[in-house]
Amino acid sequence: MRILGRFGILFSLTLLVLAIFSFALAYLFPGDVLTNLTGIIPQNDAHRELLIQKHRLDEAYFFQFVHYLSEMLQGNWGYSFVSGLSLKEEIGLALPATIELAFYAMFIAIVIGLPVGCYAGLKSYTAADYSINSVSMVGYSFPVFWLALLFILLFSLELNIAPLSGRISLLFDVPDKTGFILIDILLADNIDTSLALRDAFHHLLLPTLALSVISTASMIRMTRRSVIDVLNRPYITAARSRGLSRWQTFSRHILRNALLPVLPLLAIQITSLITNAMIVETLFSWPGIGSWLIQAIYQRDYPALRVGMLAVATVVIMLTITIDLFNRLIDPSRDKYERATV
Amino acid sequence: MPMLDIKNLTLEIETAGTRVKALDKVNLTINSGEIRALVGESGSGKSLIVSAISGALPQKFHLTADRMSWKGKSLLSMPTEERRQLMRRDIAVVFQNPGSALDPSATLGEQLEESIPDELVEGKWFWQRRQSRRKSAISTVHKVGIKHHRHYLSAYPHQIPTDISQKFMLAMALISQPKLLIADDPTRGMETTTKTQVLKLLTRLNQTKSLSILFISHDLLAISSMCHSMTVLYCGQTVESGRMKMLRKRPLHPYTKALLDSAPSFQNDLPPKSLLPTLDGTIPSLKHVPIGCRLGPRCPRAQRDCVITPAVRRIHDHTYSCHFPLHMEKL
Repeated sequence: MRILGRFGILFSLTLLVLAIFSFALAYLFPGDVLTNLTGIIPQNDAHRELLIQKHRLDEAYFFQFVHYLSEMLQGNWGYSFVSGLSLKEEIGLALPATIELAFYAMFIAIVIGLPVGCYAGLKSYTAADYSINSVSMVGYSFPVFWLALLFILLFSLELNIAPLSGRISLLFDVPDKTGFILIDILLADNIDTSLALRDAFHHLLLPTLALSVISTASMIRMTRRSVIDVLNRPYITAARSRGLSRWQTFSRHILRNALLPVLPLLAIQITSLITNAMIVETLFSWPGIGSWLIQAIYQRDYPALRVGMLAVATVVIMLTITIDLFNRLIDPSRDKYERATV
Repeated sequence: MPMLDIKNLTLEIETAGTRVKALDKVNLTINSGEIRALVGESGSGKSLIVSAISGALPQKFHLTADRMSWKGKSLLSMPTEERRQLMRRDIAVVFQNPGSALDPSATLGEQLEESIPDELVEGKWFWQRRQSRRKSAISTVHKVGIKHHRHYLSAYPHQIPTDISQKFMLAMALISQPKLLIADDPTRGMETTTKTQVLKLLTRLNQTKSLSILFISHDLLAISSMCHSMTVLYCGQTVESGRMKMLRKRPLHPYTKALLDSAPSFQNDLPPKSLLPTLDGTIPSLKHVPIGCRLGPRCPRAQRDCVITPAVRRIHDHTYSCHFPLHMEKL
């Protein structure tokens, strides 16, 4: 319980710092502070006075910030310059799309990367290990945008296996409920579910593949390294000398000890995964937070940038802290009262 | 026929292109029901012998032996599965560093219970078997002198003191009811009372269950009180081996004599405040081993012939390898 408290405090403090930063952005961006903060361009002086009154911009910075914080917490995130829509709604549509993409890529990385990495580690310094390692090295060093473009060229334009862009064919009218396309399809009642699912999978194929190549490669390399480390430990020798079979040694002693150090590395990977997801979705016109933010940059949509940054940072911090917390809970050799870290 | 019979065991380690003989023609036999001591300075290769017997050597170590057999079956040519079964049932090893030889992510109880071979578990259904495992774990833990089994069986290795984890290693070795126990410094760092308990337990098991023990230690007092025979190792060479009594009364090798002399408790006529007799110098590192008899540069009796490795000579069951042994005038 105490550890939950520690992580909770860490989480909220980090968020507070981020909120301060995003509030400061309204002043740092060029242009009118009022429009940067609210996204509304005042029609006349009276309207302007009203907005200043409403957002307490005539008070001290501290009270401005407190008001800003309470507005954020209540869900009044301001409006987009460009579309004039509520930012909360826009991000509510875009962020789940990115998370969905990153989640599938992570899923593939774990499902493929862990077993392959374990296998390479167990067979370390043999031909199998060397070939797995070099393939993963090559996969790891691809720039993601180049890989995505290559996939588009090869699979969409040449072979015509997968569609070029988007999440689902426009024929299907899927109402947004959760923001996650597969769940939304299952929840929708007026469409052919199996057809829609197949179409969504076709759309998912290329972006997920492009993303997961890199995550899988790094997963393989981390797992392999960790397994080799564990194999050299005296307790593995001791376990073998007790006559445990190969499988028993692996499942009882190697696997758990090898995965414990991989988990924090996974938390670090999440940041680069989200970044890569943003790049990939721009290329595939995936309606996620990445392409949304890039549009915002092009159109100098300052309120959108401010809130988008905050939203992405929150997601990343939340995932990182959750993984660290999880690791802390399952690793018996770590002190439960150790300080929490991001 | 001896239980474990090792003749001319040579272990070469490859370092930067050259091969160094970490063990040079080591001979070791353990008879059934015998407690044999293996003595030598740190770095003389005692633990390497343990790893060689338990088959836990890294790939880059090259092991050759004229004979290395367990009850007549060669350990070197044995299929992996048979060797594994042998290690599970007949030979048990207590490794030197108990802290690192225990899996940090599993409780001690789990690790103890997985060491029980299936044949020793009673019951047909898994809950009966689990209960039986639990019972024998608790009784073994009591046997090695750990009282609070409830606390320690559910503890993780980093939560327990070193002497308890040493006892746990012993319990893990004994729980499979082995025929041979290889104990690599099992009493290191224990205080005297606990040490006596452990040694008593080992002696009792040797007497009641005819457990053979290869006892590796620096503690000459403990060795001379419980062991039947002793093998002395110096820098990877066996210098002398024989019955404990004979070795103590009449050591033939200068190194054995120096070793025994350096233990004050063996000398009754030691004048007060006198220096203990020791050999000059230290054990050579593996990079600079002398040719011939490796004791050569430090030996008080060394002569020109000592640059040739002495052959193993034998008087009854007392073997030694020295060109100029002690006490030979009297024969």
